[in-house]
Amino acid sequence: MTREDLIQQTYARWLDAATRAAFAASLAAFAAYASGLAPSFVPLDALPRLWQLPLEQYLAQTGAPEGWGWLQLAGFSDYLNLACIALIGAVTPLCYLAVLPLLLRLGERLQAALVAAQIAVLLTAASGVLAGSH
Amino acid sequence: MADAWWHAWWTWPLALFLVSFAIGVVAVLAGVGGGVLFVPIVGSVFPFHLDFVRGAGLAFALAGTLAAGPTLLRNRVASLRLALPLALSGSIASFAGALAGLALPTDVVQVALGATVVAIALLIWRAGDADAGTGETDALGAILRLRGRYEDPVEGVTIDWRTRRTLAGFAAFAGIGFFGGVFGLGAGFANVPALNLLMAAPLKVAVGTSGLIISVVNSSAAWVYIHRGALLPALAVPAILGVMLGSRLGARLLTRTPAVVVRRLVIGVMLLAGARALARGLGVWP
Repeated sequence: MTREDLIQQTYARWLDAATRAAFAASLAAFAAYASGLAPSFVPLDALPRLWQLPLEQYLAQTGAPEGWGWLQLAGFSDYLNLACIALIGAVTPLCYLAVLPLLLRLGERLQAALVAAQIAVLLTAASGVLAGSH
Repeated sequence: MADAWWHAWWTWPLALFLVSFAIGVVAVLAGVGGGVLFVPIVGSVFPFHLDFVRGAGLAFALAGTLAAGPTLLRNRVASLRLALPLALSGSIASFAGALAGLALPTDVVQVALGATVVAIALLIWRAGDADAGTGETDALGAILRLRGRYEDPVEGVTIDWRTRRTLAGFAAFAGIGFFGGVFGLGAGFANVPALNLLMAAPLKVAVGTSGLIISVVNSSAAWVYIHRGALLPALAVPAILGVMLGSRLGARLLTRTPAVVVRRLVIGVMLLAGARALARGLGVWP
Protein backbone atom coordinates (compact mmCIF):
# COMPACT_ATOMS: atom_id res chain seq x y z
CA MET A 1 0.00 0.00 0.00
CA THR A 2 1.39 3.41 -0.98
CA ARG A 3 1.67 6.28 1.51
CA GLU A 4 -1.18 7.98 -0.37
CA ASP A 5 -3.42 4.94 -0.02
CA LEU A 6 -2.57 4.54 3.67
CA ILE A 7 -3.68 8.11 4.50
CA GLN A 8 -6.76 7.88 2.31
CA GLN A 9 -7.80 4.43 3.58
CA THR A 10 -7.32 5.50 7.22
CA TYR A 11 -9.58 8.49 6.69
CA ALA A 12 -12.12 6.29 4.85
CA ARG A 13 -12.12 3.71 7.68
CA TRP A 14 -12.76 6.31 10.38
CA LEU A 15 -15.34 8.07 8.21
CA ASP A 16 -17.17 4.81 7.59
CA ALA A 17 -17.20 3.76 11.26
CA ALA A 18 -18.19 7.20 12.58
CA THR A 19 -20.91 7.67 9.96
CA ARG A 20 -22.35 4.21 10.63
CA ALA A 21 -22.33 4.86 14.39
CA ALA A 22 -24.05 8.23 13.92
CA PHE A 23 -26.56 6.60 11.53
CA ALA A 24 -27.35 3.80 14.02
CA ALA A 25 -27.69 6.27 16.91
CA SER A 26 -29.99 8.51 14.80
CA LEU A 27 -32.13 5.53 13.79
CA ALA A 28 -32.51 4.27 17.39
CA ALA A 29 -33.19 7.75 18.79
CA PHE A 30 -35.75 8.48 16.06
CA ALA A 31 -37.51 5.13 16.70
CA ALA A 32 -37.84 6.06 20.40
CA TYR A 33 -39.05 9.56 19.42
CA ALA A 34 -41.54 8.61 16.69
CA SER A 35 -42.99 5.65 18.62
CA GLY A 36 -43.58 7.81 21.69
CA LEU A 37 -41.50 5.45 23.86
CA ALA A 38 -39.68 8.41 25.37
CA PRO A 39 -41.29 11.78 26.16
CA SER A 40 -40.60 14.67 23.79
CA PHE A 41 -40.17 18.35 24.71
CA VAL A 42 -42.47 19.45 21.86
CA PRO A 43 -45.54 17.14 21.58
CA LEU A 44 -45.57 15.15 18.34
CA ASP A 45 -49.22 15.99 17.62
CA ALA A 46 -48.43 19.71 17.75
CA LEU A 47 -45.74 19.45 15.06
CA PRO A 48 -47.96 19.86 11.94
CA ARG A 49 -49.03 23.28 13.28
CA LEU A 50 -45.57 24.30 14.57
CA TRP A 51 -43.38 23.32 11.59
CA GLN A 52 -45.23 25.84 9.41
CA LEU A 53 -44.08 28.73 11.62
CA PRO A 54 -40.97 30.88 11.06
CA LEU A 55 -38.11 29.97 13.39
CA GLU A 56 -38.55 32.92 15.74
CA GLN A 57 -42.26 32.16 16.27
CA TYR A 58 -41.51 28.46 16.73
CA LEU A 59 -38.91 29.25 19.41
CA ALA A 60 -41.29 31.68 21.14
CA GLN A 61 -44.25 29.24 21.16
CA THR A 62 -42.31 26.16 22.24
CA GLY A 63 -39.74 27.75 24.55
CA ALA A 64 -37.05 25.81 22.67
CA PRO A 65 -33.52 26.94 23.63
CA GLU A 66 -30.72 28.43 21.50
CA GLY A 67 -26.96 27.98 21.82
CA TRP A 68 -25.86 24.99 23.91
CA GLY A 69 -29.14 25.04 25.90
CA TRP A 70 -30.39 22.02 23.95
CA LEU A 71 -27.85 19.81 25.71
CA GLN A 72 -29.71 20.22 29.03
CA LEU A 73 -32.85 18.83 27.34
CA ALA A 74 -31.17 15.67 25.99
CA GLY A 75 -33.43 13.62 28.29
CA PHE A 76 -36.33 14.43 25.95
CA SER A 77 -36.47 12.27 22.83
CA ASP A 78 -36.56 15.19 20.36
CA TYR A 79 -33.41 16.70 21.87
CA LEU A 80 -31.79 13.27 22.04
CA ASN A 81 -32.30 13.25 18.26
CA LEU A 82 -30.69 16.67 18.02
CA ALA A 83 -27.70 15.28 19.94
CA CYS A 84 -27.44 12.56 17.28
CA ILE A 85 -27.45 15.23 14.56
CA ALA A 86 -24.66 16.96 16.50
CA LEU A 87 -22.79 13.62 16.39
CA ILE A 88 -23.04 13.77 12.59
CA GLY A 89 -21.58 17.30 12.75
CA ALA A 90 -18.66 15.89 14.77
CA VAL A 91 -17.76 13.11 12.28
CA THR A 92 -15.45 15.26 10.12
CA PRO A 93 -13.35 16.73 12.99
CA LEU A 94 -13.04 13.20 14.41
CA CYS A 95 -11.70 11.89 11.07
CA TYR A 96 -9.27 14.81 10.80
CA LEU A 97 -8.03 14.05 14.34
CA ALA A 98 -7.57 10.40 13.34
CA VAL A 99 -5.31 11.13 10.34
CA LEU A 100 -3.27 13.90 12.02
CA PRO A 101 -0.85 11.56 13.93
CA LEU A 102 -0.44 9.43 10.80
CA LEU A 103 0.51 12.47 8.69
CA LEU A 104 3.06 13.56 11.31
CA ARG A 105 4.52 10.04 11.49
CA LEU A 106 4.89 9.96 7.69
CA GLY A 107 6.61 13.36 7.69
CA GLU A 108 3.75 15.04 5.81
CA ARG A 109 4.17 18.28 7.75
CA LEU A 110 2.41 20.54 5.25
CA GLN A 111 -0.66 18.27 5.08
CA ALA A 112 -0.60 17.94 8.88
CA ALA A 113 -0.62 21.75 9.21
CA LEU A 114 -3.63 21.94 6.87
CA VAL A 115 -5.46 19.30 8.92
CA ALA A 116 -4.64 21.08 12.22
CA ALA A 117 -5.89 24.40 10.80
CA GLN A 118 -9.13 22.73 9.61
CA ILE A 119 -9.69 21.18 13.05
CA ALA A 120 -9.31 24.66 14.59
CA VAL A 121 -11.91 26.06 12.14
CA LEU A 122 -14.36 23.20 12.89
CA LEU A 123 -13.93 23.52 16.66
CA THR A 124 -14.53 27.27 16.43
CA ALA A 125 -17.76 26.56 14.54
CA ALA A 126 -18.85 23.93 17.08
CA SER A 127 -18.16 26.29 19.98
CA GLY A 128 -21.01 28.53 18.79
CA VAL A 129 -18.86 31.69 19.03
CA LEU A 130 -19.70 32.67 15.46
CA ALA A 131 -23.24 31.29 15.35
CA GLY A 132 -24.94 34.39 16.73
CA SER A 133 -28.57 34.25 17.73
CA HIS A 134 -31.94 35.76 16.97
CA MET B 1 -59.00 6.25 7.04
CA ALA B 2 -57.10 8.08 4.25
CA ASP B 3 -58.01 11.38 5.88
CA ALA B 4 -56.53 10.21 9.20
CA TRP B 5 -53.27 9.26 7.46
CA TRP B 6 -53.15 12.65 5.73
CA HIS B 7 -53.44 14.51 9.04
CA ALA B 8 -51.13 12.22 11.06
CA TRP B 9 -47.87 13.95 12.06
CA TRP B 10 -45.71 11.16 10.62
CA THR B 11 -47.13 11.29 7.06
CA TRP B 12 -44.90 14.18 5.95
CA PRO B 13 -41.70 12.90 7.62
CA LEU B 14 -42.27 9.51 5.93
CA ALA B 15 -42.71 11.21 2.53
CA LEU B 16 -39.60 13.27 3.29
CA PHE B 17 -37.60 10.07 3.89
CA LEU B 18 -38.58 8.70 0.45
CA VAL B 19 -37.84 11.97 -1.37
CA SER B 20 -34.49 12.26 0.45
CA PHE B 21 -33.52 8.75 -0.63
CA ALA B 22 -34.18 9.58 -4.31
CA ILE B 23 -32.32 12.92 -4.16
CA GLY B 24 -29.44 11.18 -2.35
CA VAL B 25 -28.81 8.85 -5.31
CA VAL B 26 -28.83 11.70 -7.85
CA ALA B 27 -26.78 14.10 -5.70
CA VAL B 28 -23.75 11.79 -5.46
CA LEU B 29 -23.79 11.12 -9.20
CA ALA B 30 -23.89 14.88 -9.84
CA GLY B 31 -21.21 15.72 -7.23
CA VAL B 32 -23.45 18.05 -5.25
CA GLY B 33 -24.46 17.95 -1.59
CA GLY B 34 -28.09 17.77 -2.65
CA GLY B 35 -29.20 20.77 -0.61
CA VAL B 36 -29.55 22.66 -3.87
CA LEU B 37 -32.19 20.09 -4.95
CA PHE B 38 -33.63 19.35 -1.51
CA VAL B 39 -34.39 22.93 -0.47
CA PRO B 40 -36.37 23.98 -3.58
CA ILE B 41 -38.24 20.64 -3.88
CA VAL B 42 -39.13 20.23 -0.20
CA GLY B 43 -39.67 23.97 0.26
CA SER B 44 -42.28 24.09 -2.49
CA VAL B 45 -44.06 20.72 -2.02
CA PHE B 46 -44.01 20.10 1.75
CA PRO B 47 -45.83 22.22 4.39
CA PHE B 48 -42.66 23.04 6.40
CA HIS B 49 -41.45 26.62 6.86
CA LEU B 50 -38.38 27.45 4.79
CA ASP B 51 -36.33 28.13 7.95
CA PHE B 52 -36.60 24.45 8.90
CA VAL B 53 -36.25 23.24 5.31
CA ARG B 54 -32.91 25.08 5.08
CA GLY B 55 -31.74 23.49 8.35
CA ALA B 56 -32.86 20.03 7.21
CA GLY B 57 -31.29 20.69 3.79
CA LEU B 58 -27.94 21.40 5.37
CA ALA B 59 -28.12 18.29 7.56
CA PHE B 60 -29.22 16.36 4.46
CA ALA B 61 -26.24 17.55 2.40
CA LEU B 62 -23.82 16.84 5.24
CA ALA B 63 -25.15 13.34 5.92
CA GLY B 64 -25.24 12.42 2.22
CA THR B 65 -21.67 13.46 1.55
CA LEU B 66 -20.42 11.77 4.74
CA ALA B 67 -22.17 8.50 3.82
CA ALA B 68 -20.78 8.52 0.27
CA GLY B 69 -17.26 9.45 1.41
CA PRO B 70 -15.82 6.01 2.35
CA THR B 71 -16.78 4.40 -0.97
CA LEU B 72 -15.51 7.39 -2.98
CA LEU B 73 -12.19 7.42 -1.08
CA ARG B 74 -11.65 3.64 -1.35
CA ASN B 75 -12.33 3.74 -5.11
CA ARG B 76 -9.97 6.74 -5.42
CA VAL B 77 -12.79 8.73 -7.00
CA ALA B 78 -12.29 11.28 -4.20
CA SER B 79 -8.82 12.57 -3.31
CA LEU B 80 -8.26 13.51 0.33
CA ARG B 81 -4.98 15.25 -0.53
CA LEU B 82 -6.80 17.45 -3.05
CA ALA B 83 -9.72 18.11 -0.69
CA LEU B 84 -7.64 19.21 2.34
CA PRO B 85 -6.42 22.66 1.18
CA LEU B 86 -9.55 23.44 -0.86
CA ALA B 87 -11.93 22.56 2.01
CA LEU B 88 -9.88 24.73 4.39
CA SER B 89 -10.02 27.64 1.97
CA GLY B 90 -13.75 27.09 1.43
CA SER B 91 -14.73 26.71 5.07
CA ILE B 92 -12.92 29.87 6.23
CA ALA B 93 -14.50 31.86 3.40
CA SER B 94 -17.94 30.40 4.13
CA PHE B 95 -17.78 31.92 7.64
CA ALA B 96 -17.12 35.34 6.10
CA GLY B 97 -19.87 34.67 3.55
CA ALA B 98 -22.40 33.77 6.25
CA LEU B 99 -21.71 37.07 8.01
CA ALA B 100 -21.81 39.08 4.77
CA GLY B 101 -25.02 37.34 3.73
CA LEU B 102 -26.87 39.05 6.56
CA ALA B 103 -25.97 42.48 5.13
CA LEU B 104 -26.49 41.95 1.37
CA PRO B 105 -29.82 42.35 -0.51
CA THR B 106 -30.73 38.69 -1.10
CA ASP B 107 -32.65 39.09 -4.36
CA VAL B 108 -29.72 40.81 -6.10
CA VAL B 109 -27.26 38.10 -5.06
CA GLN B 110 -29.79 35.35 -5.93
CA VAL B 111 -30.00 36.70 -9.51
CA ALA B 112 -26.20 36.89 -9.71
CA LEU B 113 -25.90 33.32 -8.37
CA GLY B 114 -28.49 31.97 -10.81
CA ALA B 115 -26.91 33.70 -13.81
CA THR B 116 -23.43 32.48 -12.84
CA VAL B 117 -24.51 28.87 -12.32
CA VAL B 118 -26.42 28.73 -15.62
CA ALA B 119 -23.42 30.29 -17.40
CA ILE B 120 -21.05 27.68 -15.89
CA ALA B 121 -23.42 24.85 -16.90
CA LEU B 122 -23.47 26.12 -20.48
CA LEU B 123 -19.67 26.46 -20.41
CA ILE B 124 -19.26 22.80 -19.38
CA TRP B 125 -21.78 21.76 -22.01
CA ARG B 126 -19.79 23.46 -24.76
CA ALA B 127 -16.25 22.95 -23.47
CA GLY B 128 -16.19 19.22 -22.69
CA ASP B 129 -13.83 17.71 -20.09
CA ALA B 130 -10.54 19.41 -19.34
CA ASP B 131 -7.60 17.46 -20.75
CA ALA B 132 -6.91 15.77 -17.43
CA GLY B 133 -3.57 14.09 -16.83
CA THR B 134 -1.65 15.90 -19.55
CA GLY B 135 0.65 18.86 -19.05
CA GLU B 136 2.81 19.78 -16.09
CA THR B 137 1.57 20.72 -12.68
CA ASP B 138 2.34 24.20 -11.31
CA ALA B 139 4.75 24.94 -8.44
CA LEU B 140 2.11 25.06 -5.68
CA GLY B 141 0.46 21.87 -6.92
CA ALA B 142 3.89 20.19 -6.89
CA ILE B 143 4.63 21.36 -3.29
CA LEU B 144 1.25 20.06 -2.09
CA ARG B 145 1.61 16.94 -4.28
CA LEU B 146 -1.89 17.37 -5.69
CA ARG B 147 -1.85 14.38 -7.98
CA GLY B 148 -3.21 10.86 -8.07
CA ARG B 149 -4.09 7.79 -10.05
CA TYR B 150 -7.65 6.85 -10.88
CA GLU B 151 -8.75 3.61 -12.57
CA ASP B 152 -12.04 3.96 -14.44
CA PRO B 153 -13.61 0.49 -14.74
CA VAL B 154 -16.30 1.74 -17.15
CA GLU B 155 -13.92 3.39 -19.63
CA GLY B 156 -11.23 0.74 -18.98
CA VAL B 157 -8.49 3.33 -18.51
CA THR B 158 -6.09 4.41 -15.77
CA ILE B 159 -5.65 8.15 -15.45
CA ASP B 160 -2.59 9.68 -13.77
CA TRP B 161 -3.80 13.15 -12.95
CA ARG B 162 -2.25 16.28 -11.50
CA THR B 163 -3.70 19.69 -10.86
CA ARG B 164 -2.91 22.91 -12.69
CA ARG B 165 -3.65 26.54 -11.80
CA THR B 166 -3.62 25.56 -8.11
CA LEU B 167 -3.50 29.10 -6.73
CA ALA B 168 -6.44 30.09 -8.93
CA GLY B 169 -8.18 26.95 -7.63
CA PHE B 170 -7.70 28.11 -4.02
CA ALA B 171 -9.11 31.52 -4.94
CA ALA B 172 -12.07 29.85 -6.69
CA PHE B 173 -12.86 27.72 -3.63
CA ALA B 174 -12.59 30.76 -1.38
CA GLY B 175 -15.05 32.51 -3.70
CA ILE B 176 -17.36 29.46 -3.81
CA GLY B 177 -17.14 29.11 -0.01
CA PHE B 178 -17.99 32.79 0.43
CA PHE B 179 -20.93 32.51 -1.98
CA GLY B 180 -22.07 29.25 -0.36
CA GLY B 181 -21.87 30.88 3.07
CA VAL B 182 -24.10 33.73 1.89
CA PHE B 183 -26.80 31.24 0.81
CA GLY B 184 -26.19 28.37 3.23
CA LEU B 185 -25.40 25.94 0.41
CA GLY B 186 -22.54 23.49 -0.13
CA ALA B 187 -22.28 24.86 -3.70
CA GLY B 188 -21.20 21.51 -5.17
CA PHE B 189 -22.52 22.70 -8.53
CA ALA B 190 -19.62 25.20 -8.54
CA ASN B 191 -17.03 22.84 -6.98
CA VAL B 192 -17.15 20.39 -9.88
CA PRO B 193 -16.34 22.88 -12.67
CA ALA B 194 -13.66 24.53 -10.49
CA LEU B 195 -11.96 21.16 -9.99
CA ASN B 196 -12.51 19.90 -13.54
CA LEU B 197 -12.27 22.94 -15.83
CA LEU B 198 -9.95 25.15 -13.79
CA MET B 199 -7.71 22.67 -11.96
CA ALA B 200 -7.87 19.90 -14.60
CA ALA B 201 -8.90 17.07 -12.26
CA PRO B 202 -10.72 14.29 -14.19
CA LEU B 203 -14.52 14.75 -14.09
CA LYS B 204 -15.20 11.74 -11.85
CA VAL B 205 -12.40 12.75 -9.43
CA ALA B 206 -13.87 16.26 -9.46
CA VAL B 207 -17.33 14.87 -8.64
CA GLY B 208 -16.04 12.60 -5.85
CA THR B 209 -13.73 15.20 -4.29
CA SER B 210 -16.48 17.82 -4.45
CA GLY B 211 -18.59 15.61 -2.15
CA LEU B 212 -15.70 15.28 0.30
CA ILE B 213 -15.17 19.06 0.35
CA ILE B 214 -18.89 19.67 0.98
CA SER B 215 -18.77 17.26 3.96
CA VAL B 216 -16.05 19.41 5.55
CA VAL B 217 -17.50 22.83 4.74
CA ASN B 218 -21.04 21.83 5.81
CA SER B 219 -19.77 20.40 9.12
CA SER B 220 -18.99 23.99 10.14
CA ALA B 221 -22.32 25.36 8.94
CA ALA B 222 -24.35 22.57 10.63
CA TRP B 223 -23.29 23.85 14.05
CA VAL B 224 -24.68 27.31 13.25
CA TYR B 225 -28.11 25.77 12.61
CA ILE B 226 -27.91 23.56 15.72
CA HIS B 227 -27.03 26.52 17.94
CA ARG B 228 -29.83 28.64 16.42
CA GLY B 229 -32.49 25.99 17.05
CA ALA B 230 -33.25 25.69 13.32
CA LEU B 231 -32.95 21.90 13.14
CA LEU B 232 -36.24 20.10 13.76
CA PRO B 233 -35.53 16.39 14.42
CA ALA B 234 -38.90 15.36 12.90
CA LEU B 235 -37.68 16.77 9.56
CA ALA B 236 -33.92 16.50 9.78
CA VAL B 237 -33.66 12.85 10.89
CA PRO B 238 -35.89 11.33 8.13
CA ALA B 239 -33.96 13.46 5.61
CA ILE B 240 -30.63 12.27 7.04
CA LEU B 241 -31.65 8.59 7.11
CA GLY B 242 -33.06 8.78 3.57
CA VAL B 243 -30.03 10.47 2.06
CA MET B 244 -27.55 8.21 3.89
CA LEU B 245 -29.12 5.16 2.27
CA GLY B 246 -29.58 6.87 -1.11
CA SER B 247 -26.06 8.26 -1.34
CA ARG B 248 -24.45 4.91 -0.50
CA LEU B 249 -26.28 3.53 -3.54
CA GLY B 250 -25.24 6.60 -5.58
CA ALA B 251 -21.57 6.18 -4.61
CA ARG B 252 -21.64 2.55 -5.82
CA LEU B 253 -23.29 3.63 -9.09
CA LEU B 254 -20.72 6.41 -9.69
CA THR B 255 -17.84 4.08 -10.61
CA ARG B 256 -20.14 2.09 -12.90
CA THR B 257 -21.80 5.05 -14.56
CA PRO B 258 -20.35 6.30 -17.88
CA ALA B 259 -18.70 9.75 -17.64
CA VAL B 260 -21.13 11.12 -20.26
CA VAL B 261 -24.10 10.31 -17.99
CA VAL B 262 -22.34 11.97 -15.03
CA ARG B 263 -21.68 15.02 -17.23
CA ARG B 264 -25.36 15.27 -18.24
CA LEU B 265 -26.44 14.96 -14.61
CA VAL B 266 -24.00 17.70 -13.58
CA ILE B 267 -25.26 20.02 -16.32
CA GLY B 268 -28.91 19.17 -15.54
CA VAL B 269 -28.48 19.81 -11.81
CA MET B 270 -26.69 23.09 -12.47
CA LEU B 271 -29.36 24.33 -14.89
CA LEU B 272 -32.07 23.38 -12.38
CA ALA B 273 -30.25 25.09 -9.50
CA GLY B 274 -29.45 28.17 -11.59
CA ALA B 275 -33.03 28.51 -12.85
CA ARG B 276 -34.32 28.14 -9.28
CA ALA B 277 -31.96 30.83 -7.95
CA LEU B 278 -32.88 33.17 -10.84
CA ALA B 279 -36.60 32.59 -10.23
CA ARG B 280 -36.22 33.34 -6.52
CA GLY B 281 -34.12 36.43 -7.17
CA LEU B 282 -36.63 37.81 -9.68
CA GLY B 283 -39.54 36.97 -7.37
CA VAL B 284 -41.09 34.56 -9.91
CA TRP B 285 -40.84 31.56 -7.52
CA PRO B 286 -40.16 32.89 -4.01
